[in-house]
Amino acid sequence: MSDPERPANESSDRLFRDDTKFALGRIAVFQYAAVAIFLFLIAGFWILQIRDHETNSTLAERNRIKTVPMLAPRGKILDRDGRVIVDNQPAFVVQLTQENLKLEHLAPIAEGLHLDLDDLKATVKRYASGKRYSPIPIKRDLSPAELTFIDSHRDPGTFPELELVQEPRRLYPQNGLAAHVIGYVGEVSETELNSSDFASYSQGDLVGKSGLERQYNEILKGVDGQRRVVVDVAGREHQVLESQDATPGQNLQLTIDLDLQAVAEIALEGKKGAVVALDPRDGSVLAMVSRPAFDPNLFAAHIKAADWKALTSNPDNPLINRAIQAQFAPGSTFKPLVALAGLETGSVDDNFSVRCGGGGTFYGRYFKCWQKGGHGGVNMKAGIIHSCDVYFYTVGNKIGIDGIAEYAEQAGIGKRTGIDLPGEAEGLMPSSKWKLRTQREKWYAGETISVAIGQGAVTVTPIQLASAIGGMANGGVWFKPHLVKMAATADPRRENWNLDNIAKVVSGMYGVVNEGGTGTSAAIPGITVSGKTGSAQRVSNDLRKSGKLEKDELQDNGWFVAFAPRENPEIVIAVLLESGEHGNLAAPTARDVIKAYFDKKTRLSKLTQPTLALIQRPGSVVGQAVSPPAVSMATSIPEDH
Amino acid sequence: MDLILNRYRNLTALVAAILVQLVLLAYQVKSNTEVRLIRVWAVTAVTPLARLLEGGRSGSVNFLKDYFVLLDVREQNKRLQTDLNRVQLENQVLRSELDTAERGKALSVFQEQSGMKTVAARIIGNSPGSNGRVVLIDRGTGSGIQPGMAVITPDGIVGKIVSSYPTASNLLLATDPTFAAGVLSQKNRVHGTLKGSGNSNAIVDYVQNEQNVEIGEWFYTAGDDRIFPKGLPAGIVTAVRPGRTVKEIFLSPSGLQHGLEDVLVILEGDHKPIPDLPPPNQSVHLQPLPPAEGEVTDPLNTAHNTSNNRGAQTDLDREVERTRRIGEDQKHVFGERGRGAPDFNKIPDNKIPDPGAAKAAPPPSPTPAPKAPANNPAAPSAAPSVNQPRP
Amino acid sequence: MSDLSAGFSEPPRRTKVPKFGWFAIIGVPLIAILFQVYVPRFFTYLAYLEMPLLVTVYYSLRRRSPPFGVMFGMCIGLAQDSLSNHPLGMFGIAKTLVGYFAASVSQRFEGSSALLRLVLAFFFFFFHQFFYWVLSRALLGEAVSFEPVQTLVLAVLNAAVAVPLFRILDKLDVTD
Repeated sequence: MSDPERPANESSDRLFRDDTKFALGRIAVFQYAAVAIFLFLIAGFWILQIRDHETNSTLAERNRIKTVPMLAPRGKILDRDGRVIVDNQPAFVVQLTQENLKLEHLAPIAEGLHLDLDDLKATVKRYASGKRYSPIPIKRDLSPAELTFIDSHRDPGTFPELELVQEPRRLYPQNGLAAHVIGYVGEVSETELNSSDFASYSQGDLVGKSGLERQYNEILKGVDGQRRVVVDVAGREHQVLESQDATPGQNLQLTIDLDLQAVAEIALEGKKGAVVALDPRDGSVLAMVSRPAFDPNLFAAHIKAADWKALTSNPDNPLINRAIQAQFAPGSTFKPLVALAGLETGSVDDNFSVRCGGGGTFYGRYFKCWQKGGHGGVNMKAGIIHSCDVYFYTVGNKIGIDGIAEYAEQAGIGKRTGIDLPGEAEGLMPSSKWKLRTQREKWYAGETISVAIGQGAVTVTPIQLASAIGGMANGGVWFKPHLVKMAATADPRRENWNLDNIAKVVSGMYGVVNEGGTGTSAAIPGITVSGKTGSAQRVSNDLRKSGKLEKDELQDNGWFVAFAPRENPEIVIAVLLESGEHGNLAAPTARDVIKAYFDKKTRLSKLTQPTLALIQRPGSVVGQAVSPPAVSMATSIPEDH
Repeated sequence: MDLILNRYRNLTALVAAILVQLVLLAYQVKSNTEVRLIRVWAVTAVTPLARLLEGGRSGSVNFLKDYFVLLDVREQNKRLQTDLNRVQLENQVLRSELDTAERGKALSVFQEQSGMKTVAARIIGNSPGSNGRVVLIDRGTGSGIQPGMAVITPDGIVGKIVSSYPTASNLLLATDPTFAAGVLSQKNRVHGTLKGSGNSNAIVDYVQNEQNVEIGEWFYTAGDDRIFPKGLPAGIVTAVRPGRTVKEIFLSPSGLQHGLEDVLVILEGDHKPIPDLPPPNQSVHLQPLPPAEGEVTDPLNTAHNTSNNRGAQTDLDREVERTRRIGEDQKHVFGERGRGAPDFNKIPDNKIPDPGAAKAAPPPSPTPAPKAPANNPAAPSAAPSVNQPRP
Repeated sequence: MSDLSAGFSEPPRRTKVPKFGWFAIIGVPLIAILFQVYVPRFFTYLAYLEMPLLVTVYYSLRRRSPPFGVMFGMCIGLAQDSLSNHPLGMFGIAKTLVGYFAASVSQRFEGSSALLRLVLAFFFFFFHQFFYWVLSRALLGEAVSFEPVQTLVLAVLNAAVAVPLFRILDKLDVTD
């Protein structure tokens, strides 16, 4: 700026008659002017930057260089074959930027986005007291109309505080399918934020709140990326300074098999209960259903207060995962373990017989058998097949509570299985020590009688029962149940149980299904399904007589636990039907799931060479040559199971 | 002090002027508010002049046009009296003449018939430094115009008011990148958001790749942006291609195609149904307005719902559906005693593939062959009894 | 206004300070602003012509009074700001400085030579654009980019227009 002036200075002496002093004064004016301009600029900076430094520097920074978050999609959840159970779908979240937020804009914004104005005000207030410049997410899961409203009103002249951020949203199965296994995500709560586990989170972040979403949150969540872009006041991006891509969360492959899960889901529709199917050979969970269920999609965006209230105030507790959290007396499904304890402790052998006349008196009290007329002479196998109460009263009495407890606990009763889901219930296996510890009373022998038929203080969860029976059938080897493939543990827990004794109990359970026992409705031609029914009172007899109970509570729970095949079982399943009266009603569900398992296995083994040839060359000569036997096989098998 | 001020009076004037303006700037930036008064003065001062200028221009343009047309015709009459081309040429000239005349008329006809409360306004200038995407119109708060109001012509949407002064308003044109409006396609009622692109085109955003939009199709305002009433033409699709996340649709905004002079500002909107027929071709400006009635019920609300992601499903949903069909086919109620377990390998219907198997390409464990049972449904049903002999 | 220009920095008496009528002082700037607002609607390429700036430079050069230049530049700049969408004061400050410096320069040079006018118009256009850019960046934090080459080309164009324009404006001089 001063360069053009220099020749002017030299020529001024010649050009003008004025004395040099006068000219020099003018030069000085120019110099002062230059200095002054910069002083003014400094003054300007002072006004803008110093007086309210934080506001303006952030404002200027945000106007010039904007950080656009790129939210990482959570990992997908897949079944054991890689089929998608939980997916992501694109969605937008609208945020308010606090720097240019004007409170008088809140009313029209609330109206345009169908938000409650008071709620919105409260949210803004909550954030204003926190980090001053973090954007406030005000609505997720925007409808197309709301999206349009935001886009058409976020120009600098209207509501510049509106900002849209793309956020991948969870897509869960509809109608609550597998809801309890999957769980759901939600905004991190204030109490969570205050705990050290969530130190890396900030307000508005999504975290797993229950189920696998919570258990494996760290694996699923991924790392958000961000783009630093240069924008002008109108919000137009001019240049990308740096871009850090979001790292998607890792996919989670489950042990769940959708073929089985689907059957269990349908079978339990409209009922209250749970199904757990395990592979006892490695502890992998093949299916897990709990009903009534909830729709996790309600949580995927932001659950409405009314929906949340409806879920939490529902007397059926749809949020509870009955497969791992329902603790009920196992009833007769406990009997195989009592029989085994009898054999293992040597209290009885399998020839030990009891005469059942419809009941028996123990310690001065009369205990009924469920069969009013009695079972007559009953040995161990018949005792299991017909679920004779009197037989097990007698056997239990002979073993004593601590003998039963020892073996039941070895099988896992009264202990968490350690499945990879949060909130598993413990169940309870009473013993004399337990009673002394908790009630400071000694165990009365009369109490053993109830426990021997799975009543009294003993409670189990469906997963516990499935695991216990599966491990027993597996030869006294228990693998930790797990839903995620990589959570499998190599070393199982082994108990030194006599395989002959196990075989004797299993033979009884085989009879339950196949030899006219209580669980014949679980029979599948060609498959050696073995199982045990159970009906357990929800409340004690004393309470029952008081007459103060709902009808629902008076009804028994129906249990059915089964495994197949009889030797080296591949699948064990526990079915609980709350208020299902009798285990007989639970048996068909187990049957359908087991059938689905073996049908699938057949389908896989059918994928042999001839079939492959058929696929590869459909309609070819080779294909035709192969197909006739297949057709003849099909026609030879009528539908008469 | 007096001496100093006197001695450096020039400098003082400069300092004062700059300081005043810096404070003004600082105030505006800091409080994020407008110094409205100064703007109102300036706009009020400029508007009548600009209006005069525009009036003079359009008047003289019309006059000159008439003059030259007549001159032209006269010369042709003289020189090419027998030439047949003369008739054609004249015809053409007269038609274009008719065209301009009708355009002016169309606006007032439209204004009357639309049933909306509108104000006719004339564009009198560009806003400095806006690349021509913000223009000044000669009506303001005095005519009831407020920021956020929609501006249209009979041809389609033009933009929205961003600021208004007593005698004039700033109009943001639909081609500005900060402009957006909700639109619906005419044929399939596909919902999208029209956004300015900065050049003469606009784009339609948020249309899923699966949705069907054709070149040459019309988009109408959807009425959900709280600016434009429903059913106004927005533009015609010039290009469509599948994008990375959403379809890329380019639209030629119909309201901005002709040199913009007269516009209508909507004071009170009235939602209209979207016409079933595309509006008559652009080059003809005699189209009857408002658009043909006939469709009174609103098919759009359903369109909204379907365009939402409700259809999205996971493999579990599909597997449950498939299993359910197996049950129905074999008259089996799952979880009930019935006649025994169903045959899961008996495909209920040839039409239904095995989605589970079909998708089971990923490695971990082998899964059923998808098409084998479908091709030959009978084959696998033999399996259970064959493979699992009774003990 | 003319009172203010008398005093210490009174221009050399060698040439007379021209006098302009009210129309020239008020009307011409208004027309210049109108030109910028109105004409580019029909001739887009004329948007690059900074008529208000050229008028500022002209009057500041001719009146040779920095306070006048300051006031004139500020008024015309603020008027421009008022019609635009950005905060008031941006064009104002830039044109205030242009007015001041043009007037200061005029105290040393005879402002009627065509070559000098060409050079000054070129220089002040560039200065104006540059300073406006500095202000946008520093005060508003806008991320506008400055393209020196483009600005230089436009400066040449504006300077080329300035010479005949200034000749026409000379006709408004009512001295004599």
